[in-house]
Amino acid sequence: MTSLPMLPAIIVDMAGSFIIIVLSFLSLRYAWLLIRRQPENFLWGFLFYFCLTLVCFSVSRALGHLLKQLLLIFNYTEQWHILAPYTGGFNTLLMISLAAVSIYYHKGIEGYRAIQKKAGSLKIANEQLEVSTDKLLKLNKNLEKIVETRTKKLSTSEKKFRNFFTNSKDMVYFCDSTTRIGTMNPAGFEMLGYSMQQTPELGLKDIFHNPEDLEKYTEALTTEGFVEDMEVEFVRAEGTVIYVLLSATALFDEDRKFSGCEGIAKDLTRVRTMMKQLASSEKMASVGQMAAGVAHEINTPLGVILGYAQLMMDDFGPESEEGKNLEVVERQARACRKIVADLLKFSRQSESARENILLNEVLEDVLAVTEHSLNLDHIQVWRDFDEDLPTIVGDPEKLCQVFVNFVNNARHAMEEQGGGDLFLSCHYEKERGQVAVTIRDTGHGIPRNVMPQIFDPFFTTKSVGKGTGLGLSVSYGIIKEHGGVIEVESPVQTEDGELKGTALRVKLPVPLLESAAVTNDNHREKSKQS
Amino acid sequence: MFPFLLFGILAMFPGSAWAVQSHGAPEGLYVHQFAHIFYTAALCYLVWGIRHTVFKSKGWRYLQVFCIFMILWNVVAFTGHSLDTLVDSASFTNDAGYLSTRLEGPFTSLKIWYYFTKLDHLFSVPALFFLYLGMKALYRNTMEGKEV
Repeated sequence: MTSLPMLPAIIVDMAGSFIIIVLSFLSLRYAWLLIRRQPENFLWGFLFYFCLTLVCFSVSRALGHLLKQLLLIFNYTEQWHILAPYTGGFNTLLMISLAAVSIYYHKGIEGYRAIQKKAGSLKIANEQLEVSTDKLLKLNKNLEKIVETRTKKLSTSEKKFRNFFTNSKDMVYFCDSTTRIGTMNPAGFEMLGYSMQQTPELGLKDIFHNPEDLEKYTEALTTEGFVEDMEVEFVRAEGTVIYVLLSATALFDEDRKFSGCEGIAKDLTRVRTMMKQLASSEKMASVGQMAAGVAHEINTPLGVILGYAQLMMDDFGPESEEGKNLEVVERQARACRKIVADLLKFSRQSESARENILLNEVLEDVLAVTEHSLNLDHIQVWRDFDEDLPTIVGDPEKLCQVFVNFVNNARHAMEEQGGGDLFLSCHYEKERGQVAVTIRDTGHGIPRNVMPQIFDPFFTTKSVGKGTGLGLSVSYGIIKEHGGVIEVESPVQTEDGELKGTALRVKLPVPLLESAAVTNDNHREKSKQS
Repeated sequence: MFPFLLFGILAMFPGSAWAVQSHGAPEGLYVHQFAHIFYTAALCYLVWGIRHTVFKSKGWRYLQVFCIFMILWNVVAFTGHSLDTLVDSASFTNDAGYLSTRLEGPFTSLKIWYYFTKLDHLFSVPALFFLYLGMKALYRNTMEGKEV
């Protein structure tokens, strides 16, 4: 073989150039698809720019080669010589660019890996954060539930104690270390007669009647830490005294220093009054029994004395000295018999009538008898009678005697001061089913020390000869017999304050079936007589 | 102040100045050859880089094959460009036009290598083919959500 044809090289060159262009574009297409799918991926970015540069290089080189072959085939050698440096220059330029892009791969990957590592760490941190957030959310939710439950319980408890505090009928209070009342329930304000809005600075010293009691109370709190069932007297806003049973507990701060107290006070005024009344009625009952016994024992010999005195008066003339003496004996014996009769009335041994009575009429009868003498003593009478009073069942004469007694006592109380006012009132207390008669004077009143004895038989403050001391005792017996009560107030307590004088209040029950009660009673009386 | 003064003095006494260097004909060839070397080195660095990364999928393996073929192509092209200057134009005859061009004997190793280097597309076409395969494999892996 002396020579080799260059045709195969020419064919390979042209075909290869064409194939290279096609393959480089196909590669670029996939790189573009990758970068479009994951734009944030550095690798695809690198491969895209690598393929793009390669496409430029391939196109430049392959087109240069194709142009060369075609120009030479068609005998444009001169033209090719002109173009050759340009295609070569482009090829060189693009090859350097391709090399430059390739070099960046490693550094790019390092950067990419560093970013990936950071992204991984961030991802882990993010996941941990998510887990923590989830836990926190659960905890928060749980906490919210717990808080909600606790709040609910606290609210229920608070409501319970608030209700107890507000609705308690006893006084509940909280004091600071200076015994100033910080908080007190409505019952406390009501008990003490203060308004909740008007008492910003109320202290225990303002409500304790006796300063010694307050001293004892404070001492017991600071030394023992509590006070139990202490009976003390409180002063109400308007000045009246009430009896209370007091229990309190001391409050101490973190340093075990006395910081205040909390206490409960129960008003025992009514109980105490009732106890007094009970004791009084027991005493009166026993006195009544004794009086009845004495009256019976005295009545017989008194009858004999009176009988013999009258017989002897027949024997002596009325003008004789013996006759005059016997008259004195008879008069005194009669006086004794009246006293005995009064004693029997007090002890309810005497008989009484039972009929329907209107107390207004009884009071008018009483005033008809006494008003003249009252006017003489410059006593003004004031009436306040309910018009539609129900009838009560009783003995009108005995009740009349009671009210005459009261009016006479009032007159005696006011005559020394030269007159006054006498108030008579009669009201129906429907809810209690009773009629209340009040006789109030503006006299000197009853001294406190004699108050427990005023219903005792033969007890009197009048001078000798002016009274037997049986008036109130008999009245007491009559009212008891009628199922009623007598209340005495001296001085008189009203909403406006204390009034001078004495008020006697008689409360008589109204029968549920008035006429039936009287009919039965009359029937019983008749059967008794037969 | 001093630089301005110096500049003023020099401007007053101008001499001959050859600021622009002229480039001879071989310089273009040298630059082209340097570019081949630079490109080869870059491809070697790329192969090394790919082998030292965690990417082990088929696509990256194809890319390595592409690099190797391209390195070989660079070597062939570099050799071809060098031999262009060594083979005399008298060694070619084309009596019946360009397509009938023949390389005349006697055949030395230089002429045989020269002829071989004219078939450089036998390396560049497979290289581009493996690049195509590599890109396709990477795209498929990505589409299927596989590790790349």
